[in-house]
Amino acid sequence: MYMNPDTASLFTGKSFLIVDDFQGMRTMLREMLRKFGSRNVDAVANGKEAIAFLEKNKYDVVLCDYNLGSGKNGQHVLEEAKYRDLIGLATAWIIITAEKTADLVFGAAEYMPDDYIIKPVNESTMRSRLEKVLARKEMLADIEKAVRDKDNDLTVALCDRALASSKSNATELLRIKTGTLLTMGRYDRAQQEFEQILAKRDIPWAKTGLGKATFYKGDLAKAQQLFREVISGNPAYLEAHDWLAKSHEAAGELDEAQHALTRCTELSPNSVIRQKNLGQLAHKRGDLETAENAYRKTIKLSEYSIHKSPDSYLGLAKICSENDNPGEALQILKDVHKEFDNAETSLHAKVVEGLVYQKSGDRINAEKISREVASLVKADDSQSATGVMLEAAQLFLATGNKEAAENIAQSLVKNNHENAELLAQVNDLYGQAGMQDRGEELVNNSRQEVIAINDKGVILAKEGKLDEAIRLLGDAHSLLPGNKRIMINLANMAVMSMRQNGRRGDLIQIADNCLKQVAKLDPQEKWCTQLRVALEAVPQ
Amino acid sequence: MDNTKEATPDISAFLASSIHDMKNSLGLLINFLETSLPELGLDTQKKAAPMLYEVKRVNDNLLQMLAIFKVGNQFYPFDLSENFIDDFVREIVEQNKTMLDYSGIALDVEFDEGLAWYFDRELIIGVVSHALNNATRYTKDRLMLSVKEEDGELVVRVEDNGSGYPISVLDAGSAVSKGVNFASGSTGLGLYFSSMVAKLHNNRGKTGSIALENGGKLGGSCFILHLP
Repeated sequence: MYMNPDTASLFTGKSFLIVDDFQGMRTMLREMLRKFGSRNVDAVANGKEAIAFLEKNKYDVVLCDYNLGSGKNGQHVLEEAKYRDLIGLATAWIIITAEKTADLVFGAAEYMPDDYIIKPVNESTMRSRLEKVLARKEMLADIEKAVRDKDNDLTVALCDRALASSKSNATELLRIKTGTLLTMGRYDRAQQEFEQILAKRDIPWAKTGLGKATFYKGDLAKAQQLFREVISGNPAYLEAHDWLAKSHEAAGELDEAQHALTRCTELSPNSVIRQKNLGQLAHKRGDLETAENAYRKTIKLSEYSIHKSPDSYLGLAKICSENDNPGEALQILKDVHKEFDNAETSLHAKVVEGLVYQKSGDRINAEKISREVASLVKADDSQSATGVMLEAAQLFLATGNKEAAENIAQSLVKNNHENAELLAQVNDLYGQAGMQDRGEELVNNSRQEVIAINDKGVILAKEGKLDEAIRLLGDAHSLLPGNKRIMINLANMAVMSMRQNGRRGDLIQIADNCLKQVAKLDPQEKWCTQLRVALEAVPQ
Repeated sequence: MDNTKEATPDISAFLASSIHDMKNSLGLLINFLETSLPELGLDTQKKAAPMLYEVKRVNDNLLQMLAIFKVGNQFYPFDLSENFIDDFVREIVEQNKTMLDYSGIALDVEFDEGLAWYFDRELIIGVVSHALNNATRYTKDRLMLSVKEEDGELVVRVEDNGSGYPISVLDAGSAVSKGVNFASGSTGLGLYFSSMVAKLHNNRGKTGSIALENGGKLGGSCFILHLP
């Protein structure tokens, strides 16, 4: 009936790492692998040892139990190994678990294991799963490489080729392909693909994908409807909950967004990112109790995780301060300096420290910190995140450091002159400091200044004086390196100039740099995709 | 006030960790039995073989209860994905091979070559293994597993050449597909689980179902699962 194919040759040359906290399981797995023909097998008992072995050796297959007792769990180990490049693309990672969880089945693609096996593990299942995973890894090798290199065009082309040549792995290929189309901003094409799949069969990932394309195209209500449909047929489908929350937040429906995020954290209780998102959203809504809880959980969960970030520490410090508990707030900020050693985080922690002193009525310390921050900001050429800058402006205004406040507010407005939410926030800051008129004046003047330069550039370009226009906007770009509109216009003008006068190395570089920076600031900016296509179409 | 009861502990907190333990133990037991049976003398082998069936029953029940608990609480990660039928059948056959060999039961297999279908692999393997395990107990010496596409649905049949289901089980089978569950014990659990799993599978307005019959190709009992 069934011949067991001679798989010994498949296993003989391969190296294996077994990670399990239970001696009996380690012995059993090792014995199984020996029967399959593997001679090269290491076994360790916990996440820390696993990382140490992965640092020293290369393995073809890692068999990792999910539950490793205290410390890191199997998912933590996998994420760290991928994040730190301890395993190559060819390594197959299999998680062995007692129960199927939403995280394991519907987790983030970049940190998914290649397969999972549900206990009890038996020899025949282990053998057939290993064969399948190794064959699939081999078939998808070039595609996984293109994905990791972020070569989107190549990824799509390779998926198309593989789909045309064989039926195996069709689902996985389609998922990679449509996901890549979404990353590239090709929403219409992605939508078509999803609709084709859905015409044949109701598949949760395809409907969720259609929802994402709809979201990016701006129809939030329709997107929400699609995510709800997925959830009603598949209540634990994590990604649909994530996106439902996201689309509610984008629509300004914060109550609904928090409701959806809460459900996410119930389904995925160990996710650092979801817990943090819940904390930040609740904080934004003024639901301090939920926010505090979520931040505390985030900090606890992230102890062993690569997703550990200062945001929840800073958020929690602010909440403690708002709850008139400056002592704990200051203690948490001390922890931030201890846990995260980088300039931007230290600056942010300092800003929050100043605000904590200010709130507690300690004017002397608040003013001292305000002065320190002012000199740090001045020396800081790199563009710190807008959130930090806003809070720094708030601290300067509260401590009477008007000049520093003006500088930072102007820089914020000029670099983001089309960001209505941010402009309103700057206005609010001045309003809260009792200087509403000054705030409006500053925002308007700074905004007009940038608009005028942009307009002048566009007029020059229309008159055919492209070189002059590029020079003007190039100078503006050096002064305002974070301004999206200037970069888009500059890239556009470089492309126009090359269309007329032929390819030029310096213009290619200008356009390429601008588009890369815009894509980093706003991955969904639709002009980026179009200009990228136009840039690549410039004849040699 | 002395009528205050001690609060009932939240069982779900213990559930996750004890299931982890139990599954480890079951894995070791099954593995021990499968690898040690061939080393035993024929007499002892005959006595020990049914233990494999018993361990699998415990495992089935555990899987079923956990799935029912999670689906009920909307926590079950229902993983609807494409499965190649030949591969699926091979996994089931290999999982049950040792047990059937020692019980002297032959298993015939029929399936559509090259067919692929969408379902949750863990759940459907759970349903089919359970049906095979049941049939092992009631058959004379032959089972048949067939997996085929009929009228746009996947139809899985597990048949045997025993004397068929008693009337009470047939009645329970038709009741559970109408949403009533009056069978008790392990039969009730298995039927409820199988019917729940079938109903979780939906496609474009159609829903999965199960049926119990007597007759079939081998003349005994016949478990049928339809998946849209």
